[in-house]
Amino acid sequence: MTTPLILLPGDEVPSDYLPSSKSNPLKIGSGLRLLSQPSTKSKEPNHVLSATQAGILETDARRNTISLLSFPNRRYIPTTNDLIIAQVHHSSADFFHCMITPHTAQALLGQLSFEGATKKTRPMLKQGDIVYARVLSVGIGAGAEVELTCVNPATGKANPGGLGPLNGGMVFDLSTGMAARLLHASSSSADDDEPVDGLVVLSELGKKLEGFGGFELAVGRNGKVWVDCSNAEENAIKVTIAIGRCLQGTDEHNLNPADQKKLVTRTLRDMKLV
Amino acid sequence: MVGPTASLSNLHRADGSASYKCPVTGYDVLGAVNAPIELPARKDALKPEDATIEVFVKPGKATAGVGERYVERILRTMLEKVILGREKGLPRRGVVITLAAVGGEAAERGDSYITIIPALLHASLLALISAAVPLSMTFTTTLLGVTRSGQIIRDPSPAAAKAVASLHVLSFSSKGHLLLSESQGRFDFETWELVRQQAASICRAVATTGSDGDTDMGEGADGAHVDAFVRETVEDSLHRDYTWKLESA
Amino acid sequence: MASTSNEAPAVPPSLSLPPSQFARLQPHAYLLAHLSPPAATNQPSIRANGREPLQFRTTSANCGSLTHTNGSAVVRIGDTAAVCGVRAELLHTDDIASWSVARTSSASTNKRQRLAELGEDVTEEDNEDEDDQDRAHIEDLSLLVPNLSLSTGCAPGYLPGAPPSTTAQSISHEILSLLHSSRLVKADDLRIWYQPPNLGPEDEQMDVDEGAGKKAETEEQKPREIKAYWVLYIDIMIISLAGNPFDAAWASVVAALRDTKLPNAWWDVDNETVLCSDDVSEAHKLTLRGLPVASSFCVFEADAAAGWRAKPIPNAQQQKKDGKGRWILADPDGYEDNLAHERVSIVVDKEKNGKTVILKMEKVGGWTIDTEDLRRLVDVSSKRWDEMKQIFDQC
Repeated sequence: MTTPLILLPGDEVPSDYLPSSKSNPLKIGSGLRLLSQPSTKSKEPNHVLSATQAGILETDARRNTISLLSFPNRRYIPTTNDLIIAQVHHSSADFFHCMITPHTAQALLGQLSFEGATKKTRPMLKQGDIVYARVLSVGIGAGAEVELTCVNPATGKANPGGLGPLNGGMVFDLSTGMAARLLHASSSSADDDEPVDGLVVLSELGKKLEGFGGFELAVGRNGKVWVDCSNAEENAIKVTIAIGRCLQGTDEHNLNPADQKKLVTRTLRDMKLV
Repeated sequence: MVGPTASLSNLHRADGSASYKCPVTGYDVLGAVNAPIELPARKDALKPEDATIEVFVKPGKATAGVGERYVERILRTMLEKVILGREKGLPRRGVVITLAAVGGEAAERGDSYITIIPALLHASLLALISAAVPLSMTFTTTLLGVTRSGQIIRDPSPAAAKAVASLHVLSFSSKGHLLLSESQGRFDFETWELVRQQAASICRAVATTGSDGDTDMGEGADGAHVDAFVRETVEDSLHRDYTWKLESA
Repeated sequence: MASTSNEAPAVPPSLSLPPSQFARLQPHAYLLAHLSPPAATNQPSIRANGREPLQFRTTSANCGSLTHTNGSAVVRIGDTAAVCGVRAELLHTDDIASWSVARTSSASTNKRQRLAELGEDVTEEDNEDEDDQDRAHIEDLSLLVPNLSLSTGCAPGYLPGAPPSTTAQSISHEILSLLHSSRLVKADDLRIWYQPPNLGPEDEQMDVDEGAGKKAETEEQKPREIKAYWVLYIDIMIISLAGNPFDAAWASVVAALRDTKLPNAWWDVDNETVLCSDDVSEAHKLTLRGLPVASSFCVFEADAAAGWRAKPIPNAQQQKKDGKGRWILADPDGYEDNLAHERVSIVVDKEKNGKTVILKMEKVGGWTIDTEDLRRLVDVSSKRWDEMKQIFDQC
């Protein structure tokens, strides 16, 4: 990748940045619009891609996609298929009413949308319980309700993703941009040593904390991360907080891989975990 | 001449925010944008296929009065045209822009609010960009005063603005359209034409000779063009947010 | 969609709509059909209300209809009607908190005296200097207080008991700001002077006159002081709103100020108060600077969502070439007001030599109007000025 091209609203994408593959149609991501201008000379209309947001142009020649990376740290807006961490607010006959982000309408989670749930075996969630869920639908128009689910509707299983109630552990707030990065990094963690998206904090923590029995982590797109390390027994709280601090520190200060390693070492030393 | 300064995404709770400070006129505006949001209790007033845009201007030291209503109306009518309110997710929702004049002289009753318009417009543009509200284009604004002797001065301070014969605020889109022109005082049309010419050269790097509308960033060696300033501010901010990505690539 | 009401017979009768309903259901298409008649018919482009694009509505003005005000006017532009009343109230300088401070710091009186001593006739430059003082006095002391109210029922959207709408507030400010920037009212008209008698030991019986001829005494004479100001409360009420409230409101303000008479007032030393004469013949009219006339225009676009549709927005240069698909409409009525985004508002005045001076020009809400159009609109506005001058002169 050469120097990144930054576009402002109204800018057109220069044609030499477009992926040249002719085999399959070009997929256009958010922030870009296809405009066609009826040309006077030839019969074929001219097509131009124009940006509607400011962002870094990102092209993927392999998948033949083009999209615009806009400002990452925005308020979370539910989108279908997002993994999120929700908190139960109250329950009614058919639904658990959950909070996804503060000051927004509650989302609905069906009492039976858990793996293997029946009228008798459904989980009895109380107010304040945490669930890891997927956004099923966001509805249309104003005042639409967001619906969540903890099962894959096709298979009826909680995996992939390990959906369902999250017991124990602790939730930390992150920026939505960081949450997206963590999710992306974890989904594409194929090679061990190559840092994905410039994130080494998790693998570093994993290495350092192996002696404490490891830890469990769930990341929600709504800017929340749930950390649990009940295996660490008497050090459980310390380890949990250390992980949270490392993640939040990386997020707040936009650390590069080297600094992330330093932060992990320093935090663990400060908390006398090494 | 000291150029303006701006920064993006300074507020954490808002969807997008920006601050814009112009040391010459002394205005310092903090803008926040929330979009798309549900506007309560006015469902019947919402346009079925377009976003509803609301602008609130808060003066620094007093409660908002009729003057603020006037600027709000100008900003709203102008931004309605720039915001793509028909894009996905926006119709029937609201785009709420709140602008607070943090610094600078407060306008007195009946004063012209023209002088603060450039700062308000730049702050709202940057905040809209940082909230990733779809826009059809960007724009830049400048304030010019014409003295009694016919001299055109750029960015007169509020005190100087009281002494000039006429005051003009002009706003140009990134494609060269005249988006806003607010003039008051005593002047004739020839004066306004001169003002328009000068404003255009301040706002835009005029090197749009490239036929395909490809703005060349190498232009504007003095860096005094306002559109270059807006672009740099946004680029800097994006660079900071995506350091991880750009470094690892 | 392009079918005009004229072609109604061509449609099956069960689906036909009377024009009035079509206008309500498809306002944009209705106006568009009027403005762009089929090329074959050779009809001129005309607005739905029967006017030419740059034609204003019939305007009438009537002055002095409210007897309990110092000045009043009713201006009617088509179906938009504005009533304006001017009420003058006294503001004693003793009641102005910062009065003495402001006075000592300002060199106004000294300058005036110096000029008088030099015996120079008032030149152009001094006039401007005076303008500045006027402006400062009127603005600092808020001697002009306009307020516009869009009264209940003037248009369907205005319900009783609602707070002043943003439109009303915005126009109030516009009027105030224009009153200030156009310097329409002279501060000198609003001042109530007092000449303290020279109570020197040798000449107690001296005349309170200016004593212009007696050079020796002028030097000893105390400077005259301002004892009070007239504050003009300008209340505008839009009793019927059918688009373009600003033009009507501003015209009513100008007409009412032209009609305003201030009673003769003087400082009474014994009572230490200002007394006014109730004799109408002693009252004086305001001397206004010029006659600013406002003209508003809106731009109707054939494709309202052009900026969003899947085609690029043309560059400014390209756009100039194909200036089609939009119409500039003068003096929009309520129906057109709702369909247009881009607005132009121009306030012009004419000097004695017939030269047009622009006092305010505003263009907002779109990108189709530029220099050429504005030049044309300024010409249209200056023609409108002639029209309005006649109307004002008659009332």
